Amino acid sequence: MIEFQNLLNQVQVHGPPDQGVVTKNSKWGRTFRPGGMNYLFGKIGDAQVGPIYLGWLGVVSIIFGFAAIEIIGLNMLASVNWDLVEFVRQLPWLALEPPQPEYGLRLAPLSEGGWWQIAGFFLTVSILLWWFRMYYRAKALGLGTHVAWAFASAIWLYLVLGFIRPVWIGNFGEAVPFGIFPHLDWTAAFSLRYGNLFYNPFHMLSIVFLYGSAVLFAMHAATILAVAKMGGEREIDQITDRGTAAERSMIFWRWTMGFNATMESIHRWAWWFAVLTTLTGGIGIVITGTVVDNWYQWGQKHGIIPDYPEYYEAPAVPVQQGELDAPYQQAVPPMTLPGLPGLDLSEPGPQSLMQDQPGDAFTDQVNPTIGNNR
Amino acid sequence: MNRAFHWTGAAVIAVMAAGCEVPPPEVDQTGFRGLGIEFVYDEGTREDSLAAIESRLPAPINALPAMDPAPPGTYENVQVLGHLSQAEFTVTMQAITNWVAPEQGCNYCHVVTPDSVNYASDAIYTKMVSRRMLQMTQDINANWRSHVGDTVGVNCWTCHQGKPVPTNYWFYSGNANQVERHYLDREGLRVQGPYALSSEGENPRGTNDAEYAYGVMINMTNGLGVNCTYCHNSARFADWSESSPQRVTALRGLRMIRDSNMEYMVSLQGVWPTDVANYASYPDRSRLGPLGDGPKLSCASCHQGAYKPQYSNPASYAGGWRALTEIGVPHPQPDEASGSEDR
Repeated sequence: MIEFQNLLNQVQVHGPPDQGVVTKNSKWGRTFRPGGMNYLFGKIGDAQVGPIYLGWLGVVSIIFGFAAIEIIGLNMLASVNWDLVEFVRQLPWLALEPPQPEYGLRLAPLSEGGWWQIAGFFLTVSILLWWFRMYYRAKALGLGTHVAWAFASAIWLYLVLGFIRPVWIGNFGEAVPFGIFPHLDWTAAFSLRYGNLFYNPFHMLSIVFLYGSAVLFAMHAATILAVAKMGGEREIDQITDRGTAAERSMIFWRWTMGFNATMESIHRWAWWFAVLTTLTGGIGIVITGTVVDNWYQWGQKHGIIPDYPEYYEAPAVPVQQGELDAPYQQAVPPMTLPGLPGLDLSEPGPQSLMQDQPGDAFTDQVNPTIGNNR
Repeated sequence: MNRAFHWTGAAVIAVMAAGCEVPPPEVDQTGFRGLGIEFVYDEGTREDSLAAIESRLPAPINALPAMDPAPPGTYENVQVLGHLSQAEFTVTMQAITNWVAPEQGCNYCHVVTPDSVNYASDAIYTKMVSRRMLQMTQDINANWRSHVGDTVGVNCWTCHQGKPVPTNYWFYSGNANQVERHYLDREGLRVQGPYALSSEGENPRGTNDAEYAYGVMINMTNGLGVNCTYCHNSARFADWSESSPQRVTALRGLRMIRDSNMEYMVSLQGVWPTDVANYASYPDRSRLGPLGDGPKLSCASCHQGAYKPQYSNPASYAGGWRALTEIGVPHPQPDEASGSEDR
């Protein structure tokens, strides 16, 4: 029985599993033979499972990746006192944090970021080995290496965030923590520290490509699904027996926007949009804090920030003119705990931290607009 | 499918587009248009808390007009209310009871036995704490008008709300970057630098410092029940010239809390009870944190989630209470008084 198979009318064809093409240079062969057909996989994709090729790159990559996940997970479990219930309950908030900045690029004690460094190393090795795996499997099949190079673009951003930029700045405290909300908190803090990342032109580009990827993906996927009833998703058939699907989809876009992609170029657009998302994003991150310190100030210099009229009757500046230009003081290290039993408050130690420091924004004895401020 | 289905779908989408909040929150624009500088609040929630505040108002009591101080020797061991007349003193004691310990009464602080009353005794730790808290309130109302206002001020009820232990306080957690430390002895909120390029000058702050600053700010917004843009233009958090005047008030408040914590709360360290047996009659006597430190203040101690404490209910004002608005002096004994006259 000939049956048309697509999302509108999905019939899972059960023939003998496809063993794949014979390739040169595949010494390890196929590690796992096809496991046969899986009905649920067939609901979302091809029903056939396997053959999966691992090779030594794949095996070592999985081992390193497993070690990294294990280190991260066990550290998180330890942070809730090995309580499995709390681990599940608090998982979104749990973190494996990088070392504090004072450790620089040295290996920190395990409990103070050392585990983060080890987990990061294992994860990086795993990812890089996986990249080589993608590259060599594509070569073995005689394919182009487009997948590997798109993956490399993502790895670039990963390496910038966790390795290249921290090394450039000189401490791993600048790197991203492992954890669901913690890495989002890091993102917020990063933007706050460097004066609002939205003014970073490479961040702008990255967003353009990210959102553009989503739009292209939606347009392409919708187009192909829309002509699937004419066999539009069978691109090879479209070449040999053109039918009307491709032409209708092209006419649709010419009608609606006057121009259309070709079946080849739409994938080229999508590939570049996806690759440029992380490529430009990585550039934007790597120059933040190394070349540019405050993107808001940078934007002001280059005229990308609008000037708004003064809104408040009295400008709310609590410092003297010019004081904000003064150099920065170092953050006070949290070495003292006033009010703990045994601490003598008559000593000037913790009290002195309350004193205004030269150049600190809290030095605001004179404020004509506010009056007495003690 | 059919018309009802489509209308239902449209209605669901409309509700979701409204932020899943029914009714949507109130938004007051407080800065230049288009910048999102606005005060967002939920009228429903606020009505509830207004009703809750009404329900726990203290028994009404009015301050007396200022009169001459009580004659020397009237009281024994009065160290911070010596500037009050006898009548004011008595009414003040009643007011403090209404504000802080309406259920517990006089002997929450004073030694009252079936046989005798010894108001002078400092035997109960709560009396020592009350004295220090009176000093703190006097200091705040007299010296921190840049935060509490020239005419508003605070009284005991502002924080205590009729409970001997206020709801919001903090202890050391053991975390080196505990954000509440900013209410005591840590600096480091200024993480954004004035330089566009790193080559123009050094800004030693890192992303870690920004996370700390972010945490402090979230703690403040939780305490005040406001969002970032109540004080800041979120496009440029550090810029004072585009911040609302509330940011300056908040800065004063931050310094006021530090001063109050360092001068008053921390100085009570030896006073908080550590021995359960001595205070067995006080079931809520546990006053120390896990590391053994006493309670300390944050924004939430007074504000309790409202941008103005108790949403500006006059019951939270200092009113005409000279016991709370003027720096107190010790009540003199007769021989001390004559001694000063000789000079």
